[in-house]
Amino acid sequence: MSVRGLVAVAGVECSKLAAQLKVRLLLAVCVAGPVAFAAAIRAQSSVPADTLFGRSVKESGFAVALVVLGFGALWVFPVLTSVVGGDLFSAEDRYGTWTTLLTRSRSRGEMFAGKLLTALGFSSIAVAAFAASSVAAGLLIVGPQPLIDLSGNVIAPATALRRVTLAWATVLPPAFGFTALAVLVSVATKNSAAGIGLPVVVGLTMQLYAFVDGPETVRRLMITSAFGAWHGLLAEPPYYRPLVQGTLVSATYFVVCVLIAYRVLRHRDIGGQR
Amino acid sequence: MSGPMPDIRLRAVVAAIALVAVSGCGPSPITSTRIESAVGPTFANLVHVQVSWLGLEPMAASAFAVKARCRKLSGSETAGAGDWICTVAWQDPDGRPLRDTYDLFVATDGCYTATVEGDNVGGPVLRAQDGSDVRNLLYTFEGCFDTT
Repeated sequence: MSVRGLVAVAGVECSKLAAQLKVRLLLAVCVAGPVAFAAAIRAQSSVPADTLFGRSVKESGFAVALVVLGFGALWVFPVLTSVVGGDLFSAEDRYGTWTTLLTRSRSRGEMFAGKLLTALGFSSIAVAAFAASSVAAGLLIVGPQPLIDLSGNVIAPATALRRVTLAWATVLPPAFGFTALAVLVSVATKNSAAGIGLPVVVGLTMQLYAFVDGPETVRRLMITSAFGAWHGLLAEPPYYRPLVQGTLVSATYFVVCVLIAYRVLRHRDIGGQR
Repeated sequence: MSGPMPDIRLRAVVAAIALVAVSGCGPSPITSTRIESAVGPTFANLVHVQVSWLGLEPMAASAFAVKARCRKLSGSETAGAGDWICTVAWQDPDGRPLRDTYDLFVATDGCYTATVEGDNVGGPVLRAQDGSDVRNLLYTFEGCFDTT
């Protein structure tokens, strides 16, 4: 497998993605959603009091970005990361294009790595667009006032911006874990509905487990727990162990799913080739 | 050579699941000590902010001498997520001893919402010295603590 081959495959996959309406629509929603939320908060008198930082959304724009982050963890991140990852491989099955692809000068390994890289790239762009829009909407529509953190301390705007940005960055490892899961389901089932739907269902099931006071070890092994690891960054003193554990769990999901997906694809009989 | 391999793998998987199950059956990390260590300082910090929002003379959070005592509401359990009740003993800016009771809902991730019982700390909105309305930070507040 060569880097040149990988980049060539990723380039082709990216141009295919850029032409898809659903991808453009999803990115547009990532940008427009937080703006609409911040505008609605500004216009109405009630606040989303049942969410962390929900009571502060009218007092600081940073709270708006954190409320959107908390909301995103429920189901938005699993959806964002599965839409492309869960379809990239199974789309070739749907259109019957595997044999055409593999007659090109690219190996099965390069094909796999290029598509995986594309899926991870899209997940990063989607999360970054969602994050940038949330922060910008909060700051422009509500304002850059100081934020009261989860220990009752007032954080100055510059520090708040740094911590909120870091908090958003912490969702990338679990987002990559979900992308790998979607890729695995897409490769194994050859079905895009399963590739996109199953990781979302898995995410929701794991979220439901968090409502049950079950064994703590099991809760920590849920990849969705990593979506809430940012809470420690907004406490004083900050605590990082949930973040470290969540990142390790996400990395494990990622490696296991990628290895199994590659093994399945490598051993698949496509047009009489293995 | 190929015969025993699946057997070894199966044993490894069963051993891993058993390890997770056994280690997961330990006591809950959501204990009264952790909750009290989170609620007390958070309450003190919020009183400090509230005083400044109301336009009163600023005071350090430590000057309120906050002490929180918490217990789980349901039955004989002493740890775990769910409903808790905390009694917060503190001093007002004039040094008078005060006692407030909060109903807490603690989630499995260590984040909690505390809502005051009664109206000792006033309603959801307070009137500042300059006549403006400010949110009563002590009416309902939230926080998180490390459960690891």
